[in-house]
Amino acid sequence: MERSDRKIGFLSAVPITVILMLSFTAPLLVVLLFSVMPPKVFTLAHVPDFSSYGVLFSQGYYRSLLWSLGTALAATVLLFLICWPLAFAMAKVFKGFTLFITVAVVITLFVSENIRLFGWVLTLMKGGLIEGHLRAWVGWSFEGALYNVPVIIFGLVYVYFPFMLFPLVQGISMVPDDARQAAADLGATRRQIFWEVDLPLSAPGIVIGSLLTFVLGAGALAESKLLGGQAVIVIADEIETAFTYGQNWPLGSALSIILIIIIGSLAVFGVSRVDLDKIMGRRR
Amino acid sequence: MRIGRATRIALYLYGVLVIAFLYLPLLSVGFASVSKARYLTFPIKRYAFQWYGKALESYTVQDLLWTSLSIAGIVTVISMIVGFFGALAFARYQWRFRGVFQKLILLPIFFPQAVLGLALLMWFNSIGIIPDWKTAVVAHLVWISPIATLVIAIRAYSFDPALEEAARDMGASTWVVLKEVTGPLLMPGVISAGLFSFLLSWGNFPLSLFTTGADSTLPEWLYAKMVSGYSPLVPTVGILSIATSMILLIVAFTIYWFVRSARERGARII
Amino acid sequence: MPPEPILRLENIVKRFGAFTALHHIDLEIDEGEFLTIVGPSGCGKTTLIRLLVGIDEPTEGRIWLRDKRIEKVPANLRPTCMVFQSLALFPHRSVGENIEFPLKIRGETASRRKERALELLDLLHLPHDFYDKRINQCSGGERQRIALARALAFDPEILFFDEPLSALDFRLRKKLEKELKDLHERTGKTFVYITHSLEEAMVMSDRIAIMRQGRFEQIAVTDEIYARPISRFVAEFMGEVNLFDVEGTASGGLRGRGVEIQANATGGGTELTLPQGTQGALMVRPESVRFLHPGQTADFIVRGILRASYALGSRTQYKVESSEGIELAVEKLRQDRFMGNVGDEVVLGFDMQNTHMIRER
Repeated sequence: MERSDRKIGFLSAVPITVILMLSFTAPLLVVLLFSVMPPKVFTLAHVPDFSSYGVLFSQGYYRSLLWSLGTALAATVLLFLICWPLAFAMAKVFKGFTLFITVAVVITLFVSENIRLFGWVLTLMKGGLIEGHLRAWVGWSFEGALYNVPVIIFGLVYVYFPFMLFPLVQGISMVPDDARQAAADLGATRRQIFWEVDLPLSAPGIVIGSLLTFVLGAGALAESKLLGGQAVIVIADEIETAFTYGQNWPLGSALSIILIIIIGSLAVFGVSRVDLDKIMGRRR
Repeated sequence: MRIGRATRIALYLYGVLVIAFLYLPLLSVGFASVSKARYLTFPIKRYAFQWYGKALESYTVQDLLWTSLSIAGIVTVISMIVGFFGALAFARYQWRFRGVFQKLILLPIFFPQAVLGLALLMWFNSIGIIPDWKTAVVAHLVWISPIATLVIAIRAYSFDPALEEAARDMGASTWVVLKEVTGPLLMPGVISAGLFSFLLSWGNFPLSLFTTGADSTLPEWLYAKMVSGYSPLVPTVGILSIATSMILLIVAFTIYWFVRSARERGARII
Repeated sequence: MPPEPILRLENIVKRFGAFTALHHIDLEIDEGEFLTIVGPSGCGKTTLIRLLVGIDEPTEGRIWLRDKRIEKVPANLRPTCMVFQSLALFPHRSVGENIEFPLKIRGETASRRKERALELLDLLHLPHDFYDKRINQCSGGERQRIALARALAFDPEILFFDEPLSALDFRLRKKLEKELKDLHERTGKTFVYITHSLEEAMVMSDRIAIMRQGRFEQIAVTDEIYARPISRFVAEFMGEVNLFDVEGTASGGLRGRGVEIQANATGGGTELTLPQGTQGALMVRPESVRFLHPGQTADFIVRGILRASYALGSRTQYKVESSEGIELAVEKLRQDRFMGNVGDEVVLGFDMQNTHMIRER
């Protein structure tokens, strides 16, 4: 039985592994190779010179990278604060309502993110849903809320909300009720229970949620383009420009590789620290 | 832990508020799609459905629908098959590289999709494939097949391995166990994975952006219009895209509900 | 004079929606006693202990801790503490950190905490190197002791137990029952224990309270419950028992089904009387029933056929079917065992002083 388990396990893993090798690993390898090519070439048949990496500092691309990481970090912290009470309630307080919220949130995931962001443009712009109605009803007019850094962070919070919420719910529901009650029984206040029991025991969910939002936020493009109106240029935007208008694949590749290294090492670190079997509820 | 009535009410209110927040932008799009004016300002003065008529007549929109549908359909079928076996390897069987495999499956989900799309573009280019909607299928699979795997894996985690062991104990071969026990038990997971795959592919934009070549999907076209200036067709086509997803969801839920209640009735007769 | 009650329940009611889990419960718990609340699952004992600990609030009624009302005081502000059924040890903390948890909450210094934790390890017969172990490195019995140590570190006025031994295997459970009783004597604290197991209750308790459908059926010292149960429910709950339906006769005597009652067994003055026309159950424990040899007699006699015998180690149990089809259990010490064969006709007898009358209410 043990032996056949191993064989079937290996065989079942083959199809998706092949797909990911061809469509994930191989392309990343190509990006890596292009990133060391001389500027503005379109094949790999050149002598590597690593010059594209130098541009990162000389032409200020690092600023875009910092903007991306900064906005993603801000969005992650905000999301944690916004999602915790709701996730707690979904895991421990709500009964049927949890299912309602889950379904309602999952449905938004199926709506293209650019339609949802466009909806915010219509909501927040001058003459939009909010300003337009305020002006018409109470005569209060202002210059829309678009095209600045806070609204980019707002967009990230909005789009990546489910990616923080669901891992948190999963994490918090892993905290045994008994452990919380025992802590209370032993004299712990609500705050002490939070720090001593809830937070450490739901850590896997917190790690996954924060990682997902940060990583996806750092590579996000549409929020800054649609809502931010390029108030700042984020790194994904620079990468896109390098590939399209700039026609400089090695530069785009180098910028991608830097982003990938930051994101990838965070992701690998986080994923390797979490026991997936446990968080997903393996029986044995 | 006792939770006071006031706290409880506050939490429910918070939940409702959050949901309202999530749906507010869709409300704006909905209103915009039925505004008669060519340049939208709120409050809307005159309502009309003319843009829906225009959108449905447009050959461009029909093309977009067809491209999006083809991509989503193929992605769904492949994700379901690949995800089924992937989930078994992920959750059920103890094999040597399971830990590594689990992490490999998760990695693409953690990657910025726009960057993945660009990487794929370069990869196709360097092996001499000219991108069109078929290459977008590959791009979608990078992100969607791991998600399908996870969805099915959750189901695989929840059933008792003793069921398979019992079947084997009664003399069933590996293949029979898969066909008679594992397959049927995982089926609900496979179906929801299919639904997820379709809807995620249908709405995906960052992966399609660089990988469809001359073809274009609905979300891509919408993005191009949004960036280049307002068109009254944008909210309309957006709502059409959402409506397609919702209809599919409703149909799926109705079938699910119907099958379940039929099964319960059947169980009662027995 | 009896000691002052440390905890007093007055008219406690707990409802969950339309369902009433506890019906107007009164209870007094004495300082330093070991009280066990026993009942089948669903009788309300878990609900009750959650009110006592402060995890839930009663719908009606009062709980007094000495002279303070505490029914609305949350668990973290009560000077009582519970050992959970699941033990609820914190998996992310070491054994030492678990034991020190209540001390840390109270803000005691690290050195003082460690000193106390080591004392408690000693008290629970655990070696000092457990201090740095992880919870998942400990066996079931060890975890049990750690949970106890953690509760004792809290230094509670009353220590509650919610069936903490139920998950353990039989031998370990028996061992820990005795350890718990010793611990009770050594610490002098008030212990309140809930369980569905009669044996557990008998071994450890000073007093036992039997619960049924949200009410107390009987509260008494252990021996009283065993020898003089107040109802059929208690009698049957407290182990193997033989019950005969009897009825009071006009002459002040008894008439029984399936049992011959000798003339000297009834009469004025004994408790074995029933008012005329009322029903009752005559109870006798299996160990008080004898096999009668020809010529021997007893106050009560039953004739039947030996159907089975079971060796229980130090004792042997027999199953006898009476001529009316009633099944009786008889138990003898191994050295006094009955030398008959299954299928033999036998005569059973028992005497008045070993019986007890349960009046129908």
